[in-house]
Amino acid sequence: MFKLGDYLAGVVIGIATTFAVRLFVAPGMDMVIAMMIGMAAGMVLHLFFGFLLGPVLGMFEVMMPGSVIGMYGGMFFGMRDSMAAGSTSPLSALAVGAAFGAIVVFIVRSYDQILHGTVLDTGE
Amino acid sequence: MAPLDDVVTRKKWDASSKTFDFFTFADDHRYGPYKRVLFEKVRGKTLMVAAGTGNDFKFFPPGLEFTAIDISPKMLEKAAVKAARYDGKIELREANVCALDYADNTFDTIVTVCTFCSVPKPVAGLRELRRVLKPGGQILMFEHVRSAIGPFGILLDLMTALTRKIGPDMNRDTVGNVQKAGFRLRRIGNVYLDIVKTIEGVKDPG
Repeated sequence: MFKLGDYLAGVVIGIATTFAVRLFVAPGMDMVIAMMIGMAAGMVLHLFFGFLLGPVLGMFEVMMPGSVIGMYGGMFFGMRDSMAAGSTSPLSALAVGAAFGAIVVFIVRSYDQILHGTVLDTGE
Repeated sequence: MAPLDDVVTRKKWDASSKTFDFFTFADDHRYGPYKRVLFEKVRGKTLMVAAGTGNDFKFFPPGLEFTAIDISPKMLEKAAVKAARYDGKIELREANVCALDYADNTFDTIVTVCTFCSVPKPVAGLRELRRVLKPGGQILMFEHVRSAIGPFGILLDLMTALTRKIGPDMNRDTVGNVQKAGFRLRRIGNVYLDIVKTIEGVKDPG
């Protein structure tokens, strides 16, 4: 159940970040400013969802992938929306946000599996 | 009793005791099996530091007798209920880990769970634990630390500015602090990324 929850949290944060970026970034906006707005919006949203979903799913398990989705997703979406490049409909933009969130969760979970386990053992 | 300089810490955790079980619900379920494995290594006279609301008592093997301390009387009030449910005997005491009133070389095992993210002077606290641990004794720790992974480490630094007002620091170097306090590391395991860890240390004789 936690696995499903982790993916759902990633999808929700991805969608929320997409939505916020669409709200604040208009086509033609300076790309650097758009990326910074996107990053800030994503970071605020990931903190919000971290505290909201953390008690149910685990604070770290929500916030670590959430930070990547919010920070990098926010920048990517801001870049895209400032150039009006792709995802012309809100629905397709939200779908991309959801997919981005799920992919980041998959990558972080995979990395967790790599790091998981003993890193030092003196054999005592 | 906590020294005056830790009144702030005690008040913070007294306040957190109201919501502690809610915020740690998922951690309790996710990390419980790892704590159970770690606590199976408990032997001899044992001290648990920062008992909190007693959520972790159920992960100890049944039949043990040990002492559990916390700086917060409000936390201990809640812990008393869970201590009563434990199939063994747990003595609860209010104490500050930096100023314990136990004699040198008292305990065989010391257990901490998410403790040294919160102790204001972590190396001093760990040195005090080393003092009360017998030579050859062990410290078993379940702790979260700062990540060495770039973006995660930065995030935990940023979050600490917020979280330390209501609870723990997120960016402690607890493995380094354990070594600074004079323990020899016996085993380290990653539980979640490189953030949540089990740390086992030993007080070497001499």
